[in-house]
Amino acid sequence: MAKNGSIYWNPIMETMPREKLRELQVKKFKRVFEWAYKNSPFYKKLYKDAGMEPGDIKTLEDIKKVPKTDKGMLREVQNRPPFPYGDMLAVPLQDVTEFRQTSGTTGTPVYQADTWQDWEWWAESWAYILYAQGYRDTDRMFLPFGYNIFVAFWACHYAAEKLGCEVVPGGVLDTEARIMKMQELKCTAFGATPTYVLGMADTARKIGIDPRSIGIQRITCAGEPGASIPTTKQRIEEAWGAKVYDHIGATEIGAWSYMCTAQKGLHINEAFFLVEIEDTETGEIIEEPMKNGKMIITAFDRQAKPCIRFDSKDVIRWADYECECGRTFRIIDGGVVGRADDITKVKGVLLAPTAIEEVVRSFNELSDEYEVIVTKKGDIDDIMLKIEIKPGFEKQEADILNRLKDQLRVKTNLGYKIEIHPYESLPRYALKAKRFKDLRPH
Amino acid sequence: MAKEYKIDEMDAKIQEIKKAVEEIEKLGGDIEAVKKNLVRLRASTKMLELNISDVKLVM
Repeated sequence: MAKNGSIYWNPIMETMPREKLRELQVKKFKRVFEWAYKNSPFYKKLYKDAGMEPGDIKTLEDIKKVPKTDKGMLREVQNRPPFPYGDMLAVPLQDVTEFRQTSGTTGTPVYQADTWQDWEWWAESWAYILYAQGYRDTDRMFLPFGYNIFVAFWACHYAAEKLGCEVVPGGVLDTEARIMKMQELKCTAFGATPTYVLGMADTARKIGIDPRSIGIQRITCAGEPGASIPTTKQRIEEAWGAKVYDHIGATEIGAWSYMCTAQKGLHINEAFFLVEIEDTETGEIIEEPMKNGKMIITAFDRQAKPCIRFDSKDVIRWADYECECGRTFRIIDGGVVGRADDITKVKGVLLAPTAIEEVVRSFNELSDEYEVIVTKKGDIDDIMLKIEIKPGFEKQEADILNRLKDQLRVKTNLGYKIEIHPYESLPRYALKAKRFKDLRPH
Repeated sequence: MAKEYKIDEMDAKIQEIKKAVEEIEKLGGDIEAVKKNLVRLRASTKMLELNISDVKLVM
């Protein structure tokens, strides 16, 4: 609890009545639309071609008519000057102070320009997240990531400083050295991808350190959906004896969503972002809870490369419950539950890879790693799951396989070939894991 | 919401900071140390506007 007892970074914004918040969002949308229209040649052409100008934005219904953008467009503009960002840029090149790029998970990386004001905004967005997750100026936060061209936990670092936390940059250290440094400094918190958090716990045990003994109280996860998958989250919390909080962000969007200490779904920072959920079949905006759709998102205050009605392809759904924290920011249930371009048909059945993770991670006898490979033999899809059985459970192999096949059938409606690999032989990942490999010819 | 906090007064002070930044910039002329530090001050002031002054949009 903070010295002043507040659980909010900004109580005015975070508890604003919904109708006022909606009104604020429309006004802020209009402001960023106008900024982009006046300063970004790409956006000006996009909106002129659609016959729209800033004066047209008066209501949420008007916003729905604004043309969407997508990653393909972000890649395309990079072929035009100014190098390397292209004509989406809305500030003079000399005002750009930060370069980041996307990881390239789904194709050619997108280069992201930020001004110093944008960078302050990144840190501010993260400050909302960390404060809501209980971080205070008494925390010593360790950041075990590569401090490189990917935005990853860069803004988290700056936000933690803003809160007054003591930040320990664990950049070039290897995993063992990071764990020993966390132990030596009695760090109280750290942030990493769920995969790496689990990998660190494994490594700690190997060098004779019980991760629970280090004294970590909270862990902020990002980059993968794991911390919103109950079985994965439970594994992490048990391994470290700490609370685990999810956060969702993206290089080209910003840090738009976070779990608070109530750990009930993820709040959207609606003072900084407008999230719309679109029905992938009808194109209608979904307002009802628990119905999946893809996210269309606007960052209201991004200056250099505005992000307006960006089709993120992330599949999300509004929650059908409220959070007891008192924030009026709307909640999404289960974080990002899939990707519109990840959900694929296997043997005619729609499959979201996160469903496989949920099943695998529910088996205590299995290691944290697995791999799924989809191939085609003739006209028939073939799906193979590679797993590792933890030492001590080898004799239960037949029973584990039977239960695993049953659970996978129930949760995904598919039958799998399962291959058991020696413990610790499957690939380990420090950043975003690539466990789902669709090798079918497209 | 707005009644609990002195939004107008806080916003007025924020606008004074912005004005002071402009005045310092004029006085600083070609001093890089002034210009570049004011970029940072402007960015921080903008964050205050996003957190406080923006509330006035719906008051």
